[in-house]
Amino acid sequence: MEPLIDVKASPMECTSLSTSAPIWQDILAQAMTGELLAAMNYASLSEICDDPAEVADALEHAQGERGHAAAFAAEGIKIGVDVPSNVDAKHWKRLRDAFLRCIAERDFIGCLIVQEIMLESFAVASYSRVGKVAPGSLGKTFARIAAEEEDHVDHAMSILRAERALAAQRFDDKVYRLHLEVMTTLAQMLAKECKDGHCEVCHASCVKPRLFDVSLSAAELRGASLRQYLRTLDMLGIPGEVTLSWVTQLPV
Amino acid sequence: MGDSVACVARRGPASEVDFALIGHQESWRAAADVLAVLRGPERTPLPDDEIKDLLPWIPPRAVCHLNVGSIVGAKARGLYIDSFIPPDRLEAAYVHENIARVRGAAACAINTGAKIVSLGGFSSILIEGNFDQLPERHDTAFTTGNTLTVAFIVQGIKKLCALEGRNLQRSTLLIVGATGDVGSGCAHCLAPMVKRVLLSARNVERLRRLAAELQAQGVQVEIATSLQRFSAEADLVICAASLASPSLLLGQIAPGALVCDAGYPKNLSPRAELLGATVFFGGLGQITGGLRFAPDFHGILNRHPFPDVVHGCLLEGMALALEGRFEPFSQGRGSITRERVEEMEAIAARHGICLAPLYNADGPVEDGPHGQTEKQPMQETAGQKWIRE
Ligand SMILES: NC(=O)C1=CN([C@@H]2O[C@H](COP(=O)(O)OP(=O)(O)OC[C@H]3O[C@@H](n4cnc5c(N)ncnc54)[C@H](OP(=O)(O)O)[C@@H]3O)[C@@H](O)[C@H]2O)C=CC1
Ligand SMILES: [Fe+2]
Ligand SMILES: [Fe+2]
Repeated sequence: MEPLIDVKASPMECTSLSTSAPIWQDILAQAMTGELLAAMNYASLSEICDDPAEVADALEHAQGERGHAAAFAAEGIKIGVDVPSNVDAKHWKRLRDAFLRCIAERDFIGCLIVQEIMLESFAVASYSRVGKVAPGSLGKTFARIAAEEEDHVDHAMSILRAERALAAQRFDDKVYRLHLEVMTTLAQMLAKECKDGHCEVCHASCVKPRLFDVSLSAAELRGASLRQYLRTLDMLGIPGEVTLSWVTQLPV
Repeated sequence: MGDSVACVARRGPASEVDFALIGHQESWRAAADVLAVLRGPERTPLPDDEIKDLLPWIPPRAVCHLNVGSIVGAKARGLYIDSFIPPDRLEAAYVHENIARVRGAAACAINTGAKIVSLGGFSSILIEGNFDQLPERHDTAFTTGNTLTVAFIVQGIKKLCALEGRNLQRSTLLIVGATGDVGSGCAHCLAPMVKRVLLSARNVERLRRLAAELQAQGVQVEIATSLQRFSAEADLVICAASLASPSLLLGQIAPGALVCDAGYPKNLSPRAELLGATVFFGGLGQITGGLRFAPDFHGILNRHPFPDVVHGCLLEGMALALEGRFEPFSQGRGSITRERVEEMEAIAARHGICLAPLYNADGPVEDGPHGQTEKQPMQETAGQKWIRE
């Protein structure tokens, strides 16, 4: 199997981050896992596209996500940590499986909903928060990638809006069905405390309680992600009172 | 798809909305109850700490649909939109964040095509003077709803005076938050009917201006920024200050005074010692032509011990919708006159929107139709139960 990422960085920025480095390491590991999963999702998507332009688009996206993963790995090197990833970790695997079910059904729209509306909402919101507090180039990288992910969402938005215009109720039902699968997993992943064992990405015990040491919190990352998700669903035109009940029904 | 969700999603196009009500929850208990309805009875309610962590992140949005009926047969369809201002973030420190939330809620209302929008509770306080900050709108009018609020406060005072056999003309009326939109509206309506008015707020200049206006009408007026400094004790009190939490102590008032707490959140502190006073929650009206919520938020979004009771500020939007008068009836702080109050009262009454039965934290204040009123027990503290909830 070809390497998923191509890391080009040197350990130049190993600085005084030594105490918080293990925390950034876990944050980077989660982010890198998400990026690798996104790259795999786009690669899978390219296989069900009929239109050559769409195939090229999906492959370009996959490449972009690999670039993001590489950037996160490089940030790890700068602060002197190795950034592991694990796309088979339990939550991430369930997210991948949900996406693969859409692929199996050749459901292009379903794929976009999972990747662009759900997973990217989480990425945009959490990277933006991390980007605000992480020092130096680490923060800049998170902020830059957050902005790039937002562009992905914008791209999908026009396709999804057009689809909803054809049959709003059918579209909303599909989003709800995927919401139950994907957002339930994301909510468990983002819960303030991990109630069902180790996430299989953090290098030691769960990083969540230690997020306070870098001016972050699990509650904040979850809140920001759900807000982004609700706003994205608003942009799609799904009634706010409907999406509100969806979100309030998620596990905590 | 869950039943309640499916049913809301299949309701007709949003443009069929006549009115929208913008509000926020006054306590974490109230917010928790709203979220519990949304979560559905089959799921365990969210723990309090999760609610406090989640709610501040919810962007302003519709919570439920409303159908309101008039006693003359008119019907109006509306939406309740919550700005999701966290109940403990009403202070000035959060003003910019809260204005943004109200703007967001206003944008929702405009997007749904609502023709009239009531700005409930702090929404109007945040936006008053900043109406130009609302999103661009064409066919959506905004009203603070304060004219009908004033009408119900005044009606409540008069009703309780009648029940207690008090002579309004011999009363000394204290208004806390007197220079506000609600407070000054009450002053304009009631000052000419009482012996003397005591006006209180923090800004002395505004107090002086209001006092001068009233004095020009022959009213005996005293002003003070501290409640301790009035020369006389009030036997009628209206609390209409924009307090972020129930913190008003009131100080010295006449034994057996009648006190209307019109604040949202309530003004009176649980520690206020109002010996022998009769307290009621003012500014509330009741819909007699029918009110339906979908999903069913009855008693959750309107937390009162009587059915179909709603705050006056929200009722004004409904009354205007039933009347087909889609206009910014109440706007501009300090412009509520007696004539406008009478006009709004008439509109509301025509559609069966009338003064709600009087009640306080301990329950009904009126005891049956002929009104044996209940005194505040000597050691009881007003608003305590309300706060406990
Ligand atoms: N019952 C109902 O249906 C309704 C209730 N309301 C409630 O009525 C209250 C007043 O609303 P509104 O008139 O629109 O608000 P405004 O902002 O117009 O007026 C507020 C008044 O309170 C005074 N005030 C503010 N803080 C204090 C303080 N710490 N001590 C004493 N006075 C104070 C202000 O004067 P200064 O700044 O000089 O102190 C001003 O006189 C609010 O609680 C609002 O939510 C509103 C609509 C409907
Ligand atoms: Fe990415
Ligand atoms: Fe992406």
